[in-house]
Amino acid sequence: MGRLGAASPGSTGSALLYFHLVTRSARALFTTLGFAALAIALSSCGVGGLSPIFPEPVSPNGQGIYNTYIGISIVAIIVFVGVEAALLWVVLRYRRSTQPAGYVPPQVHGHTGLEIAWTLAPLVIVLAIAGYSFAELQKDFQPISHSQMLVVVSGHQFGWDYEYENGVVVHQEGSLTAEVPAFVVPTNTLVKLQFRGTDVIHSWWVPAISGKTDAVPGYDNFSWLKIDKPGKWRGECAELCGTGHASMQIIVQAMDKSDFDAWMAKQKESGATPSGSPSPSPSK
Amino acid sequence: MATTVLPRPKAYDDTFFKPISIWLTTTDHKLIGIMYMVTAMISFVIGGIFALIIRLQLSQPNLRLVDDSTYNQLISAHGVTMIFFFVTIFVTGIANYMVPIMVGARDMAFPRVNLLGFWLIPVSIILYYCGFFTGHALDAGWTGYAPLTEKAYQSHSLGVDFWAMSIIVWAISGIMASTNFLTTIVALRAPGMRFSRLPLFVWAQISTSILLLVVGAPLAAAMILLEFDRQLGTQFFTTSGRPVLYQHLFWFFGHPEVYVMILPAFGMISEIVPVFARKPIFGYMSMVAALFGIVFLSMTVWAHHMFTVGMNTYVEGFFMLMTMLIAVPTGIKFFNWIATAWWGSIDFTVPIKFVFGFLATFLIGGITGIYLASVPVDTQLHQSYFVVAHLHYVLFGGSVFAIFAGIYYWFPKITGRLLNRTLGEWHFWTTFIGFNGTFLIMHTLGLEGMPRRIWTYSNEAWAATNIIITISSFLIAFSVLLFLINIVHSWNQGEIAGNDPWQGNTLEWATTSPPPPYNFERVPPVRSFMPVRDLRESGELIEEPPVVPALV
Repeated sequence: MGRLGAASPGSTGSALLYFHLVTRSARALFTTLGFAALAIALSSCGVGGLSPIFPEPVSPNGQGIYNTYIGISIVAIIVFVGVEAALLWVVLRYRRSTQPAGYVPPQVHGHTGLEIAWTLAPLVIVLAIAGYSFAELQKDFQPISHSQMLVVVSGHQFGWDYEYENGVVVHQEGSLTAEVPAFVVPTNTLVKLQFRGTDVIHSWWVPAISGKTDAVPGYDNFSWLKIDKPGKWRGECAELCGTGHASMQIIVQAMDKSDFDAWMAKQKESGATPSGSPSPSPSK
Repeated sequence: MATTVLPRPKAYDDTFFKPISIWLTTTDHKLIGIMYMVTAMISFVIGGIFALIIRLQLSQPNLRLVDDSTYNQLISAHGVTMIFFFVTIFVTGIANYMVPIMVGARDMAFPRVNLLGFWLIPVSIILYYCGFFTGHALDAGWTGYAPLTEKAYQSHSLGVDFWAMSIIVWAISGIMASTNFLTTIVALRAPGMRFSRLPLFVWAQISTSILLLVVGAPLAAAMILLEFDRQLGTQFFTTSGRPVLYQHLFWFFGHPEVYVMILPAFGMISEIVPVFARKPIFGYMSMVAALFGIVFLSMTVWAHHMFTVGMNTYVEGFFMLMTMLIAVPTGIKFFNWIATAWWGSIDFTVPIKFVFGFLATFLIGGITGIYLASVPVDTQLHQSYFVVAHLHYVLFGGSVFAIFAGIYYWFPKITGRLLNRTLGEWHFWTTFIGFNGTFLIMHTLGLEGMPRRIWTYSNEAWAATNIIITISSFLIAFSVLLFLINIVHSWNQGEIAGNDPWQGNTLEWATTSPPPPYNFERVPPVRSFMPVRDLRESGELIEEPPVVPALV
C-alpha cells in the first residue's frame, strides 16, 4: 500500500479499477471459451446426430471433399474464435456502467494502416481457400474417360433408374416406408455415373460417397464413384421435385467382385429390363 | 411591423382514428414508411406461423401432421413471405421513413410514386395468397425452379400463376422505390449535406437501390417468360427447353436480393454503434467503399447457387472466387464496427444488444458462406439443412437482428415513446437463445445428409436434433410475442422519449418525436457526417421540451 500511496489517490483508484476490470473480463472470456471448447468436444463425439463433419467417406472424391472441408475448417475456426473473442472483449471491457462518470472515449476516425491490414488479411485467406478448393475441383470434378463401368442414372417423379451397360436396370421406386432396392456396384471399380432427368430436376446425393449431381432434363451430367469396401450407404434426392420428393430414397450397395457378378447374373435371370419411362432424346 | 403568428401545422397526433382516408391517400414518406413497416410485421407473423407448422411436422420422424402437398406449399409460402414481404419490405419502410429526414429533405422526390409503390405491395401480397384460396398455392419452394413450375407438372393449380404475378408487381414496386430513393438522395439533400457527409445508412440505401434497379428487371423477366411457357405454350424453361436458364435469371436477382436485405441492415448497424459507443464511425470512407465493393461483387456470384447443375469447372472456379471475395468488403465493415466500439463507452441498452447479437451471429453466417462458396464442399452441402442454417444465420441473425436493433433505436423517433426496456431485454435474450438453439445445430443435420424441403423423414438419427430445433423455434415465437406486446404497449403508454433520447448523430434527432409533416421547421446546418452531434457540442441544438405524443 505504501508504494501505491505515493501516487495520487485518484490514479490509484483508476488503476485498481482497471486491474479489476481486466481480470474480470479475462475470467469471463476464458470461461466462455472453455464452454465453447467443451461444446465442440462433446459434439465431435457424434452423439445423437450432432456430428460437425461429414460421414466417413468411402469414395476418393468424397474423401477429397472431406479433406477440403477440414482444411477450410481449420482457418474458419481460427477466424471464428478470434473475432468472437474480440467481440466478447468489447462487450465486457468497454461498458459505460463500469467506466468512471463523464468518461469520454478517444475520438478516433480511422486508421489507414489498420484498414489496409483488415482488407488484405481476408483477401489472402480467401485466395488461399479458393486456390485450395480449385485444386480439389480440378482433381475430382473433371469428366473422366477411363472408367471401368458406366451406369446411366435417370431420375423421374419419384424414383431412380440405374441402367448398366449390359441392359440390366435397377428400378429404385420412391418409398417412405419400405426399403428401396439397392443400386449395386462392385468394390474397387471406377464407376462412371451418367445422370439424366426425365421430367423435372432431381439431384442424386449419397453423402458418404460424394457430393450432389443434378439430373436435369435436356442434357446429361457426369460423376463417378470408386468404393473401397463392401457396405450399404443411404442418400436422398436433394432437389425439390414435387410431392414425392421425400420418398426418393437412394441405397447404394458395394459388393466384392464375385458377389457382384453373382448378383448381376441373378438380375439377368429375373429379366430386369430397361425402364419403360420415356427418356429424352440424347442432346449430344 | 405586426407579427403574424402562424398556426402550428396539424401534426399526426389527431389523425389516426380520424379519417382513414388520410392513411389511404397520404403521400407523406413517414406515414408510408409506417405502413410499409406494419405490413412487413404482419407478414413476419404469418411467415413465422408457417415456420412453426413446418417445425412441428419435422419434429419427429414419420409424422403426418400435414400432408406432402400442404408441406410444400408451406415452405414456399414461408420463404416468399419472409424474403419478399417481410425483410425487403421492412427495410424499405424504415428507409422510406428515415432517408428523407437524414438528408434534410421534406419528403421523397416523387411522393405520389412513393404512394403507388407502397400500395403495390399489398396487391402483391394478396395476389400471392390468392393461391391458397384457389385451392393450391405455389409448392415448388420460394425459388420456384422450372420445370417443376411448368404447366406439365402444375396444370392443376393457379398458385404458380398467382406467385409469378405477385413477384412481377413486387419487382415493379421495388424499382419505383429504388428510383425514388436515388433521386431523393441526389437531388434533395440539405445545404451542406455533401456526399462525403451522408450518414452511412443513406449510403447503404444508395447501394441497395442501385442493386435493386439492376436486378429487379431480370426477376420480372424470369416470371414473364415462365408465364409465357404456362399460358402461351412457349418452351423457354420446359423439359424440352432450358430449365437451367430459369436458374440463371432467378439467381441473377436472387443473390443480389440477399444484399438488398442485408445492406440496409449494415447501414443501421453503422448508425447505431457510433451513437452508443460515443465514438465516430471508424473508417467512414472504407465503409462506403466496402458497400460498393459488395454491390459490384454481388452481381458476379449468382451461379454459386448452381454448382451441381454441371457447369464447366473454370466457370465454377470463377463464381467461387468472386463469392469468396465478398468476404473482403464484408470483413472491412465488420472490423470497422469492432474498431468503432473498441475503446468506446458503450451503453448497453436494447438496440446495442441487438447490434452485438447481429455481429456474433452474422459472423457465423459469413463463415459458413465460405464453406458453401467452395465448389467441392458445396456439392455436399448444397440443398441440405446446412444451407438452411446458413441462410437463416445471414437473414435472421443478420437482417432481422439489425431490424430489431433499428426498431428499438428509431421507435422513439417514430412514435415519441421509448419501448419498454425490461420487455426489450427479455425479447433480446429469448431471441438470441432461441435463434442459436434453432439454427446452430441445424448445420449438423445437413452434414449428416438431411436434404432440405423434405416433408418427412424416417432416419431415427436425425430425431434428437430435430426436436431440439423445434423446441427452440417456439422460443423464437415466444420472443416475437414479447416484442409485439412491447410495441403495442409502448406505442400507447411508453415512457416519453423526447427529441433525442440516445444523443444521436444524424439529422432525425434534431426534429421533434414524431417529426412534423414537413420534418424540419428549419433544416439545421450540416458541417460533418454527424451534424446533430456538432450542434450539441457547439450548444446550437435547441432542446424543446418534449411534448406528449398522441397515437403515431
